[in-house]
Amino acid sequence: MATKQRRVGQRVRGTTVYLLLAVGGLISIAPYLMTLNAAFKPQSTLLSTQAWTPAVPSTWSNFTTLWQQYDMSGFIVHTTIVAGVITLGQLVFTTLAAYAFARLDFPGREPLFWGFIAMMMVPQIVTLIPLFLIMSHLQLIDTYRALILPYVFGTPYGIFLVRQYFQTIPADLEAAARIDGAGTWGILRRIMLPLSKPILATLATITFVNTWNSLLWPLMATSSERDEVVTVGVAALQGQFASELHILLPAAAVALLPLIAIFLLFQRHIVRSIALTGLK
Amino acid sequence: MSANIARATVGSPATASSRMRRRRTRSTLEAYLLIAPSLFGFLAFLVAPVVIVFVLSLFSWNLITAPQFVGLANYRRMFADGQAWHALLNTAYYVLLNIPLQTVLALLLALALNRKMRGAKFFRVLFVLPWMAMPVALGVIWNWFFDPRSGIIDHLISMLGFTGPNWLTSTTWAMPVVASVNVWQYTGYTMLFLLAGLQAIPQQVYEAAALDGTNSVQRFFRITLPLLRPSMFFVLVTNVIGSFQQFDTVYVMTQGGPGQSTTTMNYYIYQQAFQLFHAGYAATLSILLFAVILLVTIIQFRYFRKRTIYDFS
Repeated sequence: MATKQRRVGQRVRGTTVYLLLAVGGLISIAPYLMTLNAAFKPQSTLLSTQAWTPAVPSTWSNFTTLWQQYDMSGFIVHTTIVAGVITLGQLVFTTLAAYAFARLDFPGREPLFWGFIAMMMVPQIVTLIPLFLIMSHLQLIDTYRALILPYVFGTPYGIFLVRQYFQTIPADLEAAARIDGAGTWGILRRIMLPLSKPILATLATITFVNTWNSLLWPLMATSSERDEVVTVGVAALQGQFASELHILLPAAAVALLPLIAIFLLFQRHIVRSIALTGLK
Repeated sequence: MSANIARATVGSPATASSRMRRRRTRSTLEAYLLIAPSLFGFLAFLVAPVVIVFVLSLFSWNLITAPQFVGLANYRRMFADGQAWHALLNTAYYVLLNIPLQTVLALLLALALNRKMRGAKFFRVLFVLPWMAMPVALGVIWNWFFDPRSGIIDHLISMLGFTGPNWLTSTTWAMPVVASVNVWQYTGYTMLFLLAGLQAIPQQVYEAAALDGTNSVQRFFRITLPLLRPSMFFVLVTNVIGSFQQFDTVYVMTQGGPGQSTTTMNYYIYQQAFQLFHAGYAATLSILLFAVILLVTIIQFRYFRKRTIYDFS
């Protein structure tokens, strides 16, 4: 009798937990789904139907209108170039620096490392007005270089992340390779890189996501259509077409979807190692 | 390394030590070559700007012509600028709306997921999806959700028999609506860290406590929460620093309004620099924000260091 009661209690609790999780999961994806759904609704039904009513009949005409009004392809190309170059640069430069900080013994290592860490506390806005000054002195305002240069060499956070991971790779592996005559380059290529795929996938994703989504610096550093990025473009659309949802919602969908695709591609690595980054 | 030393000692003592020295110089050189690109980026685009911001705060600059030295005028202006302090209060309010709600929800989700169950991985992926959404796009979407005519929120409220306020034109409601974007976006991400923290707590501790006849509420407050402190610390410090820098959703959704009610510090600094062309003054304001964030972070460090005494390594 008692065990039966306990079993019923457990089942009730299990169901409650699933219910809670299902509601949370639904709230997590509802804005994505409803935006995508609304983007395919004809302009006439967009306002008259509820957000959860499926887009039947559906139409591509909102996207055509959007592309006619705005150079969306241009925004996406610009953003992909900027985010791609920054991500690639950060992967290479961060790996090199993180290896030196994790494994090489050199004078100045500790103060330098802690200098990097201390700068993690600096809010971005503090650097942006001086960066504008630097970039206008170099006459780079309104170029790709202005968007790329400040972030392509890596961030303290990235170096910290990868260094922590490198430190968990057994030093014996490296010592053995050194005895076999491998240099630092060989060790990086044959030992560290193959073992560090999860953290590098995480760094790549975090960097790409942050760059793709960043608004403030591109807003300051660019002003013409030839290098405008998606964030600035969508924000401008909101200003211009404040209540024309048939233009705004497809634009939001276009801005959101590429990252979802990338994430689903790498999610196995990312979910695991995002959590790891917080532990130590 | 040891092999190299062994090989070196075969030669005469003098050449051995000079060879060691040469080896050390070479490895130092190598290390600096490896960190050179990062170090350049760090000095040119992080350290230099921080130095420049302090210099700029002593100048008046309209972004175009050469800056004019004005001494401490920007600081005097800041202390007398009611709008700046209002923006700082707004930012603090935004952080307070955000962090507690987001952290409690994340903890609940983490507790729910911290058990052997089917679909745990699926739910984890689901909960992290909001993290990568572009805040600018979310601003657009939330404007639609909270629209009084076509928005889903007012529709849901009216189904329950109530009428919603005009969310984004109300000085009371605009800030909570802006904050809700951030809560939606970061709850799942925060949950991941807390879940990792929960999974690091050894099961034996709970078993021992159960033998002592404790109930689940006691176990939560006496074991789970104290042992979760390191994860909680990380999550709070990084989320608080991030929240203090709110800009994107305010820029898209409310432009700081209605009135000044959603003007956060970052938005005010942006306005001063790029709409009013008071870049020197904006530099001064950004130093104020920096100081506040630093102070709050130090307080958190103190609080958590004093209380984190458990170590299972």
